[in-house]
Amino acid sequence: MPDLEERLTALAPAIDWPPTPAPLWRGAQQREAADRQWRWNNRWALAAAAVLLIVATLLAYTPTRDAIADWVNVHTIFRRTETPPPSPSPLPPGPPGRYLNLGTQVSLAEARQGVAWTILLPAALGSPDAVYLQQPPSVPSGGEVSLVYVRSDIKTSGLTGVSVLVTEARGRVEEQYFQKTLGPGVTIEQVTVNGHSGYWISGRPHQFVITDAEGNPYPETLRLATNTLVIDEGGTLVRIEGDLSKDQAIQIARSMS
Amino acid sequence: MEGRPADDSELISRAQRGDAAAYEEIVQRYQQLAFRTAYVVTGSAADAEDAAQEGFVKAYRALGRFRAGAEWRPWLLRIVANEARNRVRSSGRRHRLELRLTEGFRPGDAAPSPEAVAVALDERKRLLAMVNSLSDEDREVIASRYFLELNGEETAAALGIPEGTVKSRLSRALARLRTRVEEAANA
Repeated sequence: MPDLEERLTALAPAIDWPPTPAPLWRGAQQREAADRQWRWNNRWALAAAAVLLIVATLLAYTPTRDAIADWVNVHTIFRRTETPPPSPSPLPPGPPGRYLNLGTQVSLAEARQGVAWTILLPAALGSPDAVYLQQPPSVPSGGEVSLVYVRSDIKTSGLTGVSVLVTEARGRVEEQYFQKTLGPGVTIEQVTVNGHSGYWISGRPHQFVITDAEGNPYPETLRLATNTLVIDEGGTLVRIEGDLSKDQAIQIARSMS
Repeated sequence: MEGRPADDSELISRAQRGDAAAYEEIVQRYQQLAFRTAYVVTGSAADAEDAAQEGFVKAYRALGRFRAGAEWRPWLLRIVANEARNRVRSSGRRHRLELRLTEGFRPGDAAPSPEAVAVALDERKRLLAMVNSLSDEDREVIASRYFLELNGEETAAALGIPEGTVKSRLSRALARLRTRVEEAANA
């Protein structure tokens, strides 16, 4: 009987590991092929969507993103990964949203000075409880403003203490990618609010990608991992996240000015 | 690159200078190791895939902090395994790692009799079943060291423990496995 350690070593080549997912990089270059596979094999298409997300995430952080963008032509995708439901925990101290990685906390006036475009405010929610400003390169050109609301009538996220998060940036979403890359458990519906087109996304979206004025794609984390309304308000992309019904979200969007 | 394949340190320094193709090559070289290491930690292929992808992204962003001459495998595995553990923690549950033998695996290199093959296969199946029956901690260290064939430093990175602890943990795990093997032999 050989030594136990030798016997364990001899087992190594016989272990039946789950197959390593398709190559992370090359797979992305074969986007078209992945799209074809989607029709007959959801599993592979979902893997490709995750791969595209990784590439898209990298696009935001690498100086060579234009080069990679050319390979994959990615603009807007959803990630299939679901964020686990928040577990109850004590609310973090400090201003609401401080752990959401939204940038620097500023006053509304400072946020207005910090961006060259007009920040829209949802009258239906009143004044924001906290305002954050983030500047490129980690967000689209033109900067990104986040308005955080804590409202007793809207369930707060257990992890963050935030009821509604309204994020604004200059950019656009592209419909074709929404339709192609939805993961299971997430539904999308086209809506119109005050004549502006948008999307109501329900389920547990995790991340999506917008393109900024220069056409660069930016992965945007949907931080509350709840229902989301995305509206293109004349070039300002507004997204409203929270444990909201579609009607509630649209009502908030309608009150933006 | 023409001719010989680039070595890791060359690829890493190219990737550090922003060469995406070099990083692509690194990912291809290490994706299997990263995925399997994450699988040992999470016990779930879906979580392992997610952790490996996220790990590669984080490693890419952190490339600037990777020192020339340092060991790449433990550096990468630490990031990937950390992602894997975060997933286990945030989901609040750990899938039980259940290792199996490859269908059709034929042990031995000579041309053994079918009976000898069957006996060897059966013996391996029983040994693996005993490994599976160990505690998470014991199974993880044995799988890392013997099945993933990681060295001490890499095992420490994969398990998120100091290298010295790997030794003691491994020897305790082996002792417990040995007891089970002997008990089974005497039964």
